Amino acid sequence: MAARILLVEDNPANLELVSYLLEAYGHSVLIAEDGRQGLELARREHPELILSDLRMPVMDGFEMLRHIRADATLNAVPVIAVTAFSMSGDQTRVMLAGFDGYISKPIIPETFVGEVEAYLKAGRRKAGPAADP
Amino acid sequence: MAMDVCGLLLDEAPDAFVVQSPEGIVLHWSRSAESIFGYPADEVVGRDLLDLMVPADRAEEECGLRRDALESGFAAIESLRRCKDGSLVFVAISAKAVRDGQGRPQYLIVCMLDVTQLKVMRDAKLVDARYSKLLESMPDGIVLVNASGRIVFANSQAEAMFGYEAGHLRGLPVEMLLPERLRGGHVAHRSAYFGQLRTRAMGMGLELYGLRQDGSEFPVEIGLSPLETGEGTLVTSAIRDITERKRIERALHEKNVELAKANAAKDRFLASMSHELRTPLNAIIGFTGTLLMKLPGPLNEVQEKQLRRVQSSGQHLLELINDLLDIAKIEAGKIQLVIEPVDCRAVIEDVAATLRPAAEGKGLGFAIEVVDDELRLSTDRRAFSQILINLVQNAIKFTERGSVTIRLARRVEGELALVEVSVRDTGTGISGEDLQRLFAPFARITPRSGKFAEGTGLGLHLSQKLAGEMGGRITVASAPGVGSTFALVLPEG
Repeated sequence: MAARILLVEDNPANLELVSYLLEAYGHSVLIAEDGRQGLELARREHPELILSDLRMPVMDGFEMLRHIRADATLNAVPVIAVTAFSMSGDQTRVMLAGFDGYISKPIIPETFVGEVEAYLKAGRRKAGPAADP
Repeated sequence: MAMDVCGLLLDEAPDAFVVQSPEGIVLHWSRSAESIFGYPADEVVGRDLLDLMVPADRAEEECGLRRDALESGFAAIESLRRCKDGSLVFVAISAKAVRDGQGRPQYLIVCMLDVTQLKVMRDAKLVDARYSKLLESMPDGIVLVNASGRIVFANSQAEAMFGYEAGHLRGLPVEMLLPERLRGGHVAHRSAYFGQLRTRAMGMGLELYGLRQDGSEFPVEIGLSPLETGEGTLVTSAIRDITERKRIERALHEKNVELAKANAAKDRFLASMSHELRTPLNAIIGFTGTLLMKLPGPLNEVQEKQLRRVQSSGQHLLELINDLLDIAKIEAGKIQLVIEPVDCRAVIEDVAATLRPAAEGKGLGFAIEVVDDELRLSTDRRAFSQILINLVQNAIKFTERGSVTIRLARRVEGELALVEVSVRDTGTGISGEDLQRLFAPFARITPRSGKFAEGTGLGLHLSQKLAGEMGGRITVASAPGVGSTFALVLPEG
């Protein structure tokens, strides 16, 4: 099930890693380097899934998510946070913000694509903003 | 030149000279009355002094004076009157009734002499005689004030505090010791206090300031108490200069603000550092992984072996960062424990299920002993599990032959019921010297083989700190060559 996935990430090495992994498993990857680019690309290309970093210049992941959720044409697209959680409360903050899921950095390359495909299959998170276990 | 005696007496006699109707309405108000009380004639004539100048608690006395004068022709009292500016003066009052042809009262002639200074001198004499030695011996500045608000006594501590020469405070209105902006309020406050005398302890009430003779201000604390003399009530003020205390309070407050700022900066630094350290690790561990997954192409044996080294070192670095961050959080008091009832047995079984393969992979026995099943424990599940994982991992790591056993039991120490989860191994054991520094950061013990064991060197340090946050501790008993028992002890309940 090859999918079109939008990857929003400002760090070039991480961008390369994640897009390499996704492409190695046959997905096609759209690349944006900050939230604003990500939003524009999402509106133009309507990807099947968005993977987004949180800390980014110009527009961070939280703000991009607000714009995406305010856009009716993007309502069905799941948005997954890929982030280097560090402090307690970070995960809760991400889920409360309305992301459909999160993957921690450093990612585990052996299982990463599997996790992404599971999110593709699950689609938008139906339940309220409670944190996943 | 003929002398206008009547005019002179009316206008220039030192006594206030007032003519009233028998009902008490003022008909004439002399210029000397105006200069004593501050009210011009046009504000007084046609009114009753009871409504204007007689303090409420002196009204009855005033009525008595009028009645006596009307009945017997003459009466005199000493009393207090309020001036237009609110200040009180002691006056000697004499009143004489003037009758018409039929003997009916026609007028009351009232003379009032300002005896405030005389009263101050009388009160001063009385206080000096009875109390001066006692008041001089007090560590605080002591100022005694009579009902007119004049100072009748000040001890030398008070004189020094306010910068006056000996004896120079006597007779001054007490408001002279206050900054001007506080004086108006003080007169009202003082009158109210005289109306409702009670002891007020030091330090109660508002921020107060004293005014020195040279015009400088200083913060004070004041305690008030009434003193009955038989010649009227005096108010004793004990005054303390709290400049130094205020300075220390301010310094402490500034220090606190500074500390809070530094703490916030430290938190931001921790969060950033953690994020920034993980970001490059993501690429290191990630690309090592893609290479080892052979996504770009095949690897030869040496490449694969070296890449596994990179991978495990990357993972080690990640563990170090996680542990250091946890320790920093505990030390900054930032750890948030979620205390809830925890089923110890279930947590132990979860941990065992995760680590059993590692033990059995080394050929070790692995067992759980539940001695007391009915244990109640309220604690943070994650921290509890994290400590247990650390202890079991250590046991497996340092045991080459034999077994690792997790044991759950109740322990009683005096009045305290404790839950003890212990991990016993048959490993290398720890010498007395190593036991001493076992919980210090990076305190690796040296195995007999001479190789350093893997791990961050922070596990036990972190576990002990976490246990402390949870209200418990980790204990250890060990004998080299026999094995070790580490126990997490938490209060039951």
